Amino acid sequence: MMENRSHFPAEDGAKTAPALVRLENICKSYGPVQANRNICLEVHAGEILALLGENGAGKSTLMSILSGKSRQDSGTIFVDGIPAPFRSPHDALEAGIGMVYQHFMLVEAMTVTQNLLLGQAHGILNPKAMRERVLELAARYGFEIDPDAVISSLSMGERQRVEILKLLYRDCRVLILDEPTAVLTPPETKQLFSALRRMASDGKAIVFISHKMREVLDLATQISILRRGEIVDHFLRADVPGERELAERMVGRQMDAVVVQTPVAKGEVLLELDGATCGMAKDLRCRIRRGEVLAVVGVAGNGQRELVEMVTGAARPESGPDSVRILGRSWQEFVKQRPGRNGLVYIPEDRKGVATCPALDLLDNFLLTCRDEFQRFGFLDRRRAAAAAEGVMREYQVVADGLHASAGSLSGGNLQKMVLGREFYREPRLIVAENPTQGLDIGAMEEVWRRILAARSHAGVLLVTSDLREAVTLADTFAVMYRGRFIDVFSHTDTERLEAVGMMMAGIRFGEKEEERGRSGREA
Amino acid sequence: MDGFRVVRRQTPPGWVSFAVLPAALLIALVFCSLLLMIQDKSPVKAAVVLFQGGFGSLYALQDTMLKAIPIFLCSLGVSVAFRMKVWNIGAEGQFALGGVGATWAVLTFSGLPMPLMLCLMLLCAAVAGGLWGLIPGYLRLKFGLNEIISTLMLNYIGIEFMRYLVYGPWKDPGSMGFPMTGLFPEEAVFPEVLGYVHAGLLVCVVAAVAVYVFLQRTRLGFELCVSGENPRAARYARIPYGFLLMFVLALSGALAGMAGCVEVSATFNRLQPNLCTGYGYTAIVVAWLSRLRTPSIALFSVFVAGLLVGTDNLQVDMQVPAAFGGILEGFILLCVLAGQFFHSYTLVRMGRRQGGAA
Ligand SMILES: Nc1ncnc2c1ncn2[C@@H]1O[C@H](COP(=O)(O)OP(=O)(O)OP(=O)(O)O)[C@@H](O)[C@H]1O
Ligand SMILES: [Mg+2]
Repeated sequence: MMENRSHFPAEDGAKTAPALVRLENICKSYGPVQANRNICLEVHAGEILALLGENGAGKSTLMSILSGKSRQDSGTIFVDGIPAPFRSPHDALEAGIGMVYQHFMLVEAMTVTQNLLLGQAHGILNPKAMRERVLELAARYGFEIDPDAVISSLSMGERQRVEILKLLYRDCRVLILDEPTAVLTPPETKQLFSALRRMASDGKAIVFISHKMREVLDLATQISILRRGEIVDHFLRADVPGERELAERMVGRQMDAVVVQTPVAKGEVLLELDGATCGMAKDLRCRIRRGEVLAVVGVAGNGQRELVEMVTGAARPESGPDSVRILGRSWQEFVKQRPGRNGLVYIPEDRKGVATCPALDLLDNFLLTCRDEFQRFGFLDRRRAAAAAEGVMREYQVVADGLHASAGSLSGGNLQKMVLGREFYREPRLIVAENPTQGLDIGAMEEVWRRILAARSHAGVLLVTSDLREAVTLADTFAVMYRGRFIDVFSHTDTERLEAVGMMMAGIRFGEKEEERGRSGREA
Repeated sequence: MDGFRVVRRQTPPGWVSFAVLPAALLIALVFCSLLLMIQDKSPVKAAVVLFQGGFGSLYALQDTMLKAIPIFLCSLGVSVAFRMKVWNIGAEGQFALGGVGATWAVLTFSGLPMPLMLCLMLLCAAVAGGLWGLIPGYLRLKFGLNEIISTLMLNYIGIEFMRYLVYGPWKDPGSMGFPMTGLFPEEAVFPEVLGYVHAGLLVCVVAAVAVYVFLQRTRLGFELCVSGENPRAARYARIPYGFLLMFVLALSGALAGMAGCVEVSATFNRLQPNLCTGYGYTAIVVAWLSRLRTPSIALFSVFVAGLLVGTDNLQVDMQVPAAFGGILEGFILLCVLAGQFFHSYTLVRMGRRQGGAA
């Protein structure tokens, strides 16, 4: 009440009902890092609030405080105008605040209904009534879900629906979603958004975090911007005309020029697939030369994983020995003797699960793939490695609390920059990158794009992405993957095909259904 | 509804970590006092006897050190494997094989000068223990057999094998039918270096330093830590998991084997069937208590060894049954382990919530 920030539109009119949730002067520090500073925020029923900010701005921290997962150092959370100290997510749930985490917390071996039964601490369980209620809720919000399906058989989008159902089942009035669309296919995203809008119109409040400006503009009714732990701006969706303006309000400065690729001279062939087959991936044909970016686009789960495993040497091609040639050698020869420097590097999609050890510090994480460079007689030369790692951190502008910060404490963008710097340190000639900008803010994303484009001077890039925009920005050549096959491979200058990419991703070959092609015109 | 609920700590516990050990000990002692009072024995006197016996005098301390040496070596071994999340609970069997290896060296070579002889014994013990450790590693890689089962089962085989040798081929004809080898010659016995604490202490120091350097400085040690921390990242970085698994079990077995060597040479001066008294299992508890940190392993080894010595004393001085010593030890360790729960969790009262939704 004593706090009065001009950018709370709701405070202007005294007639408005008390906010569902009000945060007052929330502060939270991790050691020297102040992740949240005097945050004041209100969420009203029927609102969809987008929380926007660069990587490390403190969005996830704030939401984990609101959902009871971590605790503020100071400040108060009010629920319906009454202070509510949350000691655990359980407390927050009781107060009607629930969060869908990026990494789903479901028991894989159990069914949807059984997962919903979990955590119902009190009273007698009634699975049958519960099943009914699940079906009712699912129907209400347009979720297609089979209550008896086992979680492990569900797609990411379906699992997310289960998580949301979990909250709805407990009558949550405030739903928090942290980067909910990162794991979704475009049609799943559409469905999610319409369900969220429905919930808002039912009087629930939605808070979501996203790095995709288009989605924010599409879904939000209010937008709050966090920068270095503080809320610096709060406005209505209607106040911003377009993505670029929104991005500039987020970073608080003029954005650098949009990344555009200018072709560089092509060199020798670095990767050649000639009928390569491995598991789901079948009969793949393409080649990548130095200076070239080949973007494999498609909905996740169409054989991209098998392709990547084969090219990085983790899975053996089932086709003939010469069907996969890497850096001028056959697959077998390449795997038998990999070059440490000037070889192949792989930037996996899962930064915290695969590319790094979150519990270890940055130096150890740097050594993870660079240890060959810093060993002598079996001993690691950590001092030399530290100098190199510090160089990388400087060059790639990794913001961290020194070399001895744990990788897990870095924000997504900074960690990705560190991974990129580490992998590029060995001056690779072939780069395999999987969704390299997933979860990154616009600034970091464009930075990563520039780095990848710059690497073309000495390398070829196999870019596997589900983000069409990324592909359009970076690629010289497109390969559209559907059910394990490249259904089309074409140059970025082929604008006709480029416009039809959305269709191809759904399995419709170029020119197959002329009459339907016009509809996907706004893709790309 | 009143009561308590378990909640994960969000900040490291601070003072709690210092308070946990004494508090756990206190609780264990209260429990044991009750047990003693049922038997009409004075708990206060028992506590004094226990402490006196384990730590109260120079003699007591030396006795404690003697027991701490094999526990420390075994514990160092299992902690290396635990670090990679390889659950080697076969230290007991590897310890027995170490005793066998050392004895074989003594029976085979004679007339060597003492330093050479002792080094040779340690080497043979390490190789024997290490090979014993390799078996579960091989079984896991080849057939996917869980190492918890195989290391445990190999304990029984290893101990029986050792007993077979002392009851059969290696039995000393001059032992009047007792199952034991002949007394080791003087050059095969670890000399005393500190009071009557023998040179096994030096073995501990060297082993501790070597393990520390290995884990902190070498490439292999680094790979081992990564494999334990995040197996998926290890695969991504092409760390040779299979090789490391074998290596870690061999190293673990070698350290337990060296403990066996020290024990036969310095404590018994011969191989005899009661060599194995559970140090290999105690070592697992110690590794767990110390959360795999080498300095803590040293401290907890001494602590647990002191408990063992102290309870032995209790039996003699207060005529409590032998089993009581075991119960007491078990209680104390259980309380300390349970206390470690509070490093990562805390209890909060479930009161009425203030901020209320209808
Ligand atoms: N557990 C932690 N330990 C130490 N520092 C942390 C921890 N969690 C977050 N931080 C730090 O707090 C700051 C805010 O982090 P937070 O995860 O909230 O950012 P974010 O806005 O969600 O970023 P992103 O867009 O990358 O997800 C960062 O500087 C981060 O390094
Ligand atoms: Mg975040």
